[in-house]
This record gives sequence, C-alpha cells and structure tokens, in this order.
Amino acid sequence: MRKKFPKDISRRAFLGAAGASLAAVTLPEAAFAQSGGRKVLIIASNQDIPNLDPHIATGYSASFLLRNVYDSLVKIAGNPPKPVPGLAASWTSTADGKEYTFKLDPAAKFHNGKPVTAEDVIYSFKRAIRLNKGNAWMIQGVVGPDSVSAVDATTVKFALLKPFAAFLQVLPWIWIVSKADVEANLGTDDGQNWLRTNTAASGPFKVRRAEAGNLYEIERVADGWQKGGGNLSGAIWRIVRETASQRLMLQRGEAHIAVDLTSEDMDALKDKPGVVSIIEPEYRTFSIKMNTRHGPMADPELRKAISYAVNYKAILDAAGYADLMIGPLPNGILGHNPNLAVYRTDLAKAKEHLAKSKVPNGGIKLTFVHVSGLEQQRRWALILLDSLKALNIELDIKPMIWPDMVAACRSPETFPDMFPVYQTANYGDPDNIAFAAYHSSRNGNWQNAVYGNPEVDALIEKGRSESDEAKRIAIYREMQEKVVADAPDIFGVLEKRKLALRDAVQGFAFVPVASNAVECLGLSLK
Amino acid sequence: MLHFILRRLVLIVPVLFGLTALVFAIARLLPGDPVALAAGPNATPAEIAAYGKEFGLDRPLIVQYGAYLSGLMKGDFGVSIYTRRPVIEDLRAYLPATLELVFAAMFLAIAIGIPAGLAAAAWRDKWPDYLSRVVALGSISMPRFFLGLLLQLLFAMWLGWLPLGGRFPITEDPPALVTGFLTLDALIARDFTAFSIACQHLVMPAIAMSLSPLATIMRMMRASTLEVMQQDYVLTERALGLSSRLIMLKYVSRNAISATLTVIGLYFGWLLGGTVLVETIFDWPGLGLYATKAVVTQDFMPVIGVTLVIGTLFVFANFAVDLLYGVINPKVRTE
Repeated sequence: MRKKFPKDISRRAFLGAAGASLAAVTLPEAAFAQSGGRKVLIIASNQDIPNLDPHIATGYSASFLLRNVYDSLVKIAGNPPKPVPGLAASWTSTADGKEYTFKLDPAAKFHNGKPVTAEDVIYSFKRAIRLNKGNAWMIQGVVGPDSVSAVDATTVKFALLKPFAAFLQVLPWIWIVSKADVEANLGTDDGQNWLRTNTAASGPFKVRRAEAGNLYEIERVADGWQKGGGNLSGAIWRIVRETASQRLMLQRGEAHIAVDLTSEDMDALKDKPGVVSIIEPEYRTFSIKMNTRHGPMADPELRKAISYAVNYKAILDAAGYADLMIGPLPNGILGHNPNLAVYRTDLAKAKEHLAKSKVPNGGIKLTFVHVSGLEQQRRWALILLDSLKALNIELDIKPMIWPDMVAACRSPETFPDMFPVYQTANYGDPDNIAFAAYHSSRNGNWQNAVYGNPEVDALIEKGRSESDEAKRIAIYREMQEKVVADAPDIFGVLEKRKLALRDAVQGFAFVPVASNAVECLGLSLK
Repeated sequence: MLHFILRRLVLIVPVLFGLTALVFAIARLLPGDPVALAAGPNATPAEIAAYGKEFGLDRPLIVQYGAYLSGLMKGDFGVSIYTRRPVIEDLRAYLPATLELVFAAMFLAIAIGIPAGLAAAAWRDKWPDYLSRVVALGSISMPRFFLGLLLQLLFAMWLGWLPLGGRFPITEDPPALVTGFLTLDALIARDFTAFSIACQHLVMPAIAMSLSPLATIMRMMRASTLEVMQQDYVLTERALGLSSRLIMLKYVSRNAISATLTVIGLYFGWLLGGTVLVETIFDWPGLGLYATKAVVTQDFMPVIGVTLVIGTLFVFANFAVDLLYGVINPKVRTE
C-alpha cells in the first residue's frame, strides 16, 4: 500500500532549512592576507623537516632550515658555485691541500649571545664525525676526530687525513653548534633528542614555529651578527603535497616561491601575471644503470648495442625541461667534457655491437624496474621497450616500491638488468657524482650497485686528492672517457631546476646547488 | 545495561591484542630494506648494520614484539627509523587534524543524510525523492579527490570565498592547543574570528569527505523509513488521527534509524583510513598522509602505530554504535 504523504510538513520549510545550513558553512571572508607590517616569505614545498639536528637531518627541506638558522664556516654562492665567507671571514690553505686555517669573524655570535669560538667549531666537527649521520659522509676519511685544532680563540686549523679538493665545497653543509648549549642538554644520546626540536645556532634566523607535516616558520634574529641582507622578518616553509596546489597557491599569491613544480606546471605558469619562472640547469642527473656484473648485461657489447639503440630524443622529450647528458658527469661542472664522444641513437652501430655480443640475434628478455608511481621513469621504460624491439630484445617492466629497489642493489645477483636512478649533487664538485656513482667502494648501494673498474677507481681517487685545477680537469676527462667506454649506464638527462617566484620576491640569485633549499638572508619582499 | 557495556569492553582487549600481533608480523615480514634506505645513500654495509642495531632490528622478531608490547603499555609507540621522531609525538600532531576532518564530514553526512532520507521516503516518487536519488548517485560515483579539485576551483579560485587548503592561515598563530581540534580550541579560547577561519578551512575538505557516506546514509534511511512506514502500527497511528509530522519524526524515524546507525559506525572507520586523497589535495596535515608515506618507505613503527590507532578508534566507534542501539531501542537494552 502506498501512501501519499500529507502536506503538513512544508517542503518549503524543509528546503529553506537545508539551504540556510548550507549557507552557514560557506562564509565568504578573505582570511589569508599578510598580517601587520611583517614581511614573511612563504615557500611551498612537499617535503617535511622532521628533524632539526644539524648533524643528522638531510634532504633539501632540512637544508633550507639549517642554512638559514645555522652557520657554517663557508657558504656557497654564485653560478658556478664558489665558497664565500660564512663564520670564517678568511682562510688559507697549504700548497699540498692538506692543511686549512680559518679565521672566524670576530662579530659572530650564537643566538644565546655568546661568541662563536674555535672550540665550538671543533666540537661541531667532532660531533658530526662521532654520530656519522646526516652529511658526515662528505668529510668521512678526510676529517678525523683529531684533525681540527684551535690556534687561538678565533682561529681553527684543519689537518686533513688526506688532500680533498672539494673540501671548501662540502664545508657549507657541516653546521656549527654552540658547544655550551648542546653540552647543557646532552642527555644520554649526545644531545640528539634535544637538537631534534631545539637549536643551538648562530644564523640570521631562528625557529619560531615547527608543526610537523604542516609548516616551519623562521624569523630574523633581532640582534643577529650578520648585518645587511633583505627586509624579510621571517619565512615559512609550508608543506604542500600536490605540485598543482603549489602552482595554484603561487598564482593566488598565497606562496612566494614554489620549489617542486613539474614541467607541466611551468608551462601553465607561463605568462601568468606576477609570476617569475626560473628554469636553470643544475647538477642533477637521471640515468639508467645496467647490471655490468651479472646476467646478459655483463657483456659490454650488449650494453653498447643498447646504448646506441636508445631513442635519446624521446627520453629528452619525456623529461620536460632538461638537457641530454654528455657522459657520466653533469654538464658544466668542473672537468666536464662537452665534446666527449658519447652514444647517440644509431641503429646500424647498435646492430654492429649486438652482432659482436653473446646474443647476436637478440631474443632475450631484460628486466627494467622502476619506482612505482614515478611517471617519468615509467615513460622511459616504455621508450626503452620500443627502442629495444629493433634489436629483438624484450623488456619486462616491473614497478617496485623504493625500499625493495634499494634491497635489490645489495648484490649483482639480485640487481635487475636496468635500474633508473636520479642523482643530485650535494656539492658543486665533480668528485661528488664521480665518487658516488662510479667508484667501486660504493657497490651494493643504489647509487652504484655493481659497476667497478680499477682504472676508473684510481682516477677518481686521484681527482679528489689533487688540488691543482688544471690537473683535475685532465684527470676527470680521462675518467669520463673510460666510463663511456665501459658503458655502465644509459646516460640520460640533466633535469633543469624548476622554480617559480612571485615578482614581489627580490634579490634571488640562482645557485646550481641546493637552489630549492632557499637561502633567505639576501631576499626581500616588495 | 552495565553488564552489556562491561562485556563489550572486555571483548575489545583480545581484539586489540590480535591486531598488534597481526600488524607487527605483517609489517616486519615484508620484503625490502627500509634500514638501508633510511641510513642514506652514502652508508656503508657496516653503518647500515649499526643503524639497524640502534633500532633493535637485529634481535629475534619475537623479542622485538615483546619489547614493542611492553613499550605500548607505557604509551611508547616506538621511533620512526627515518625521522627518528617518537611515533607518539607524530600521532599527537596528526591524529587531531584527521579526527576533526572525519567528525566534520560525518556531521555533514548525518545532518543532511538523515533528514534527506526521511524526506525522500515521505515524498516517495515525488521530486524530493528524485532529487535525492540523483544526488546520491552523483555523490557515490564522484571520486573524492576530483570533487575536492572542483570545489577548490569554484570556491577558492573563481569565487575566492574559501582558502585553497591548510587548516589555518599560516601567517597567523592558531589558538592555544587544548584538544588539537582547531575549531574547538578556538571556542575554548573564545576567539570567534579564529573559529570562523578554522571553519572556512574545514568546509571544503569536509564536504569532499562527506559525500559518499552522505549518499549511503540517505539511501539507507530512505529504505528503512519506507519499510517502517508499511508497519501496522503506523496505520494505527494514522487511524488514531496523529499528525503526519508526529508520526514521521517521533515513531517512524526512531525505528528507521537503527539500521542507518550501523552504516554510520562502519563509515567512521572507513573515513579514518581513507583520508589520504583529500588530505593531499587540501594540504590537511593529517594521519592519512603520514601513514601513506610510512607505508611506502616501510617505516615499521609509524605503520604499526597508525594501524593500531585507527583499529582502536574503529572498535570504539562500533562500541558506541552498539550503545546507541540501546539508547534508541529499549528492546535492545533489556535483551
């Protein structure tokens, strides 16, 4: 039996109530303007800063916070990047490159008001080496626990264990903490627990708010020792996961700088009023590692055949704003040879090398793993699949999660035939990528799981201990030729750094190292 | 009733214990090498081993589980191997944001879904019913993240009424932390501007989250109301000359709501575990994103911690629903 509902509940009343409740929740009010006369720079990034300990935290988000809050002996500036004075006002080094002496800026003082002394520098380096975490690898085997000594209260001497040409390039990433502050909060773990959320720093900014997963706010130290700089009263590192959201925030002026934009975002931002795009080459490589030790790829002829078969134009197109790599080192870095003879698409040569290999007619299946969800790596896999068809080689494409891929790097037997890798230079010296990606001591590690050539090892070691620039260039040129001859990688692209700024941001100068870890001291807001 | 409550509470203990064992085992038996990953690209095998040892990962699994359980008793959820932050601190930071979002979404779903379901049943095959059907079909088929993007486009980009994302304007200081729910904290601090601002940030993600429970609740309510309206006692009440308003609101709705309540309880747990897409789009600093990141990097302790917390909340949500049956239906109370 169906009943018609009588009209004593008025529909109009019902709908009216519904409408009113809807209106109540959408109050129009602009609530996102800058308050007061403060000049707060807002940076949108998708990376969190979960740990503030300067000798533990890594990643560009942590670098942002640390380089603004802490000081290091020298800083990095310019393009190409050069060391400039930080806590150290000046320095000298011996001709053999084994001894460096730094004269600290007499004005330098910590946020607690105490001056920065040689003791603090010694303490910081010892702590970094003792913990052996974070950026400590940069000075591992170079600075020992007894390498640093005080000449007087404001002069420190480093007696390096062995000469290290990139020494001044890595110093910006070893931060100086206040010995007194850390000692007072040592706990049972060398102050790790305390420094995770507190700072013992001397930099131009200090932490105002830290909300994990949401935002980190720094503010200019009122009576800081660094004079000058821009007009910023502070900066906020805002976690914005979606790059599309970062773009929208920038368009709306809710963020001043967005640091994780994709090529598509950059295209969308073109000609948008008030937005300045920065697309600059940076020392960040993306290539495909091949298993030089196990399986069919252990045959160098097959690797060369594949290197010639790859459609380089397609991989460049898929990479968006990028340049093709010329050999193993980033274009433009010291010692890079722009005229190096490298593999470019040439099917005739590919077939020639294939004929010389153990599988002259192809007919094999290779495994290509990639990080699941990383669209760019998947696109490359498809391009490779297509390129290898010409050699009658099949490609098995396997998306994996990153921890599983790292685990696969442990031995040549578990390492897949092909393995795409992004590599960011942490310091602007050829040693960084040469050592991490081609020295055999790094085997078992994802940056260089299997490749090793004693001659290349010797050149890399020679390169890092030579201090004469002309000689280093010659060494790295030879090293590049040898690596190309071995064809351990399909040398891919250098992705350009893609940043977008509001035009209100003044004083931004692009540095091709860690440019996404924005240094705020020199910046101003209109 | 007290006996009923106690019995249900006692039953929760083995459920949670089983949950810890299961989650711990699954998290630890997965392949992959999170320690090598966390130790960083430049760690040597010896450093990786030392790193694992620091977190006690070299001990037998059963010993690790024992240590975890004893820590849990003291409120210690372990430490993330990536960030080295205690998991409990992260949970404290992220859980309130997610709960606030889920509660707001459930509030919307219930506040609109139940009256709309009643209305659809009352005016069956009339335009309120058709409208509700279209809305239900639309909201259940619309992916949450897509709706989120559309809302952003309309209200934030075109109309400029609402902020694009986040919980609070980042250049302002939020109200003093009491509950972790910004809306409640603002009310506690008697800061009504802050309350209004917090609500504006909450509206869009809450709407995006609420649509599918809303549709389900609405349809469920309509179906059970129609069923109850066929009962003889409703006919009797009509014969006695009671007003339709009274019959619907007092007698029919109360009986019809029991079945809907079950759905609400289930949806609560479902929403808790399914916030990640909405959180990503609206930059809502909540548990979903935290959990997703932990899962992708196989960071054991956060994964276990989040699963436990969501599991516990789910168990208690269903417990609350069971209690509500008793409140609404006296027959359940006496049984």
